[in-house]
Amino acid sequence: MKKLIAAITLGLAVMAMVLPASPAQKKMIQVKGSDTMVNLVQILAEEYMAQKPGTALAVLGGGSGTGITAIINQTCDIANHSREWRQKEIDQAWEKGVSPRFFIIAVDGLSIIVHESNPLEKLTMAELGAIYRGEVKNWKAVGGPDEKVSLYGRQSNSGTYVFMQEHVLNNKNYSTDMKEMNGNAQIIEGILQDEGGIGYVGVGYLFDKDGKVRKGLKILNVAKDSKSEAYSPLDKAAVDSGNYPVARPLYQATSGKPSAAISAFIRFETGPEGQKIVEREGFFTIGAKHNELNDNNLR
Amino acid sequence: MARKTSIRILFVLGLMLLSAAIVSAQQTFNTTIYFDYTNYLSNNGSVTSAPKNSFFTFRRAYFTYENKINDNLKFRFRYDADSTANLTSVDLTKGSTKKDDKLRPFIKHLYLEFSNLLPNSTIKVGLAETIQFKFAEDRWGYRSVAKTLMDGYKDVTAVDVDAPSADLGASLAGSLAKYVRYGFMVSNGAGYSHAENDKYKKIAGNIQLIPVAGLSIVVYMDYEKQDKDDSAQTYKLDGYLEMVRNLVIGAECFVYQNEKYLTADKVRYDVSGFSLFGRYLFNPDVFSLFGRFDRYEPNNKASNDEMTLVIAGLDWSPFHKSMKLQPNIWFASYANSEKKNDVVFNFTFFLSF
Repeated sequence: MKKLIAAITLGLAVMAMVLPASPAQKKMIQVKGSDTMVNLVQILAEEYMAQKPGTALAVLGGGSGTGITAIINQTCDIANHSREWRQKEIDQAWEKGVSPRFFIIAVDGLSIIVHESNPLEKLTMAELGAIYRGEVKNWKAVGGPDEKVSLYGRQSNSGTYVFMQEHVLNNKNYSTDMKEMNGNAQIIEGILQDEGGIGYVGVGYLFDKDGKVRKGLKILNVAKDSKSEAYSPLDKAAVDSGNYPVARPLYQATSGKPSAAISAFIRFETGPEGQKIVEREGFFTIGAKHNELNDNNLR
Repeated sequence: MARKTSIRILFVLGLMLLSAAIVSAQQTFNTTIYFDYTNYLSNNGSVTSAPKNSFFTFRRAYFTYENKINDNLKFRFRYDADSTANLTSVDLTKGSTKKDDKLRPFIKHLYLEFSNLLPNSTIKVGLAETIQFKFAEDRWGYRSVAKTLMDGYKDVTAVDVDAPSADLGASLAGSLAKYVRYGFMVSNGAGYSHAENDKYKKIAGNIQLIPVAGLSIVVYMDYEKQDKDDSAQTYKLDGYLEMVRNLVIGAECFVYQNEKYLTADKVRYDVSGFSLFGRYLFNPDVFSLFGRFDRYEPNNKASNDEMTLVIAGLDWSPFHKSMKLQPNIWFASYANSEKKNDVVFNFTFFLSF
């Protein structure tokens, strides 16, 4: 019996020692995080793997919070996140000896969507905040029809949830009436079936297979305040200039200086080929300032 | 008949509520279970001389429900079931005094958690985790294999060090800066197993210093008056090194003083211990190795009652990280030369879903 146990233990130890050392697993780059970015990064990874045979990337969603936690716990190689790190997360990384490096791979015009039957064309940031805090409960209060507002948003581990809360809700709580959806696609499905609905999604999720805005949706223009002009998230110039007020960079983070293999993938994403894919998928390309940050952090 | 119908309606309503809760992202359910196959590799040790030398044991089953009411308020309810829960003389046999060995649940956590009422802080009110050895548990990471130093030996040595893992009270924890964290708790001091039995409260506090990334030093103290004349206090010092990717090394030591703990000569004796542990993740979520060395002194006035424990094992998730196989070996030796060493093999199964 003792010999049997010893043999089983030894066998397991040997198997487990061998498993992580297998060539396929050794080169696998694990990417985890933002649901807004998961489709985009999956496509970037597929393209990259096609060009570089022998490389392997696995891209998972779960939300920005999940990706950031995975980098802090060192269970992934790259975290996708559509918001900046919170102070608590920076402190946790410090505690665990992780010095994150950040990269910007695309820009998102976070898009405010309603049902196509809603006659409203635009909202100010203050109106949008009041709607999501639950202070405005009827569309009539912001110039819309006499209909109850139905809120669609994301769960709290989503970077988009946090970005909206910090930049639109002035760090106040969402209305408890908001339906917390699992992803951008679920928000769109909800809005398509709800004439009083309002939701927020990454700009890359607005388009169908043919690159056209999905039928049944209306994208609202957003103004900084009542005196400013309202802009569309589809207007690249307005997003780049900051005139569209709910634009945001889409980040990746690594634990310390990225290895050669990870650096090569980030260079591909932020280079001309990767940026073509970013544009094709409906997001906006990064500018010179972002490129400079990326180069510095790759060194 | 009417009662049966009511029960059925309640059951259906319960299922409906449960389904509604599952689809809501604000509410989560989680279950963690660990059980062992144990085989004594020695047969004349202090523990291993028992006739039962090969057996399966369910050691823990947790069921946790959390409801995030909003970004600043969370509720947690946790049932815990362990193999000693039946020793509380629970009698479900309607009049019979016969006991059995079934796992029975008890409430481990029942608290409200407020975030950021004070900047960068968390306040817990209710039956919540104590702050005594949470740092050590998090770093050791193998509660499924063995409890940490202060938690583990009270059962083995029968000398209580007043260290329950949860207690009824209020705690505040937060960070003052990147380099400094703090924790403070006021509780009954009776733990989650007992109701408060005196008017005195236990006051506990810790300071965590992180001078450089990946190096933590934690100082902990607690104090509780036992009665009019006596008190008990704990002093604890921890150090953690997490600078090297995938490697965690931790050390903790403590001294527990209780003015009620007296030798035959009416001299107070103290309880103390030291633990050094580490784990290395060869492949995160797939394979790790871990090890630990403990030295425990249940009575500093007795000459040969110390014990030393060495644990070594591996953690392998062959299919998914929610199912872990954790074979481990324990080697216990005793200062008392009359006590023979114990060598125990455990094959621990860890399930979380």
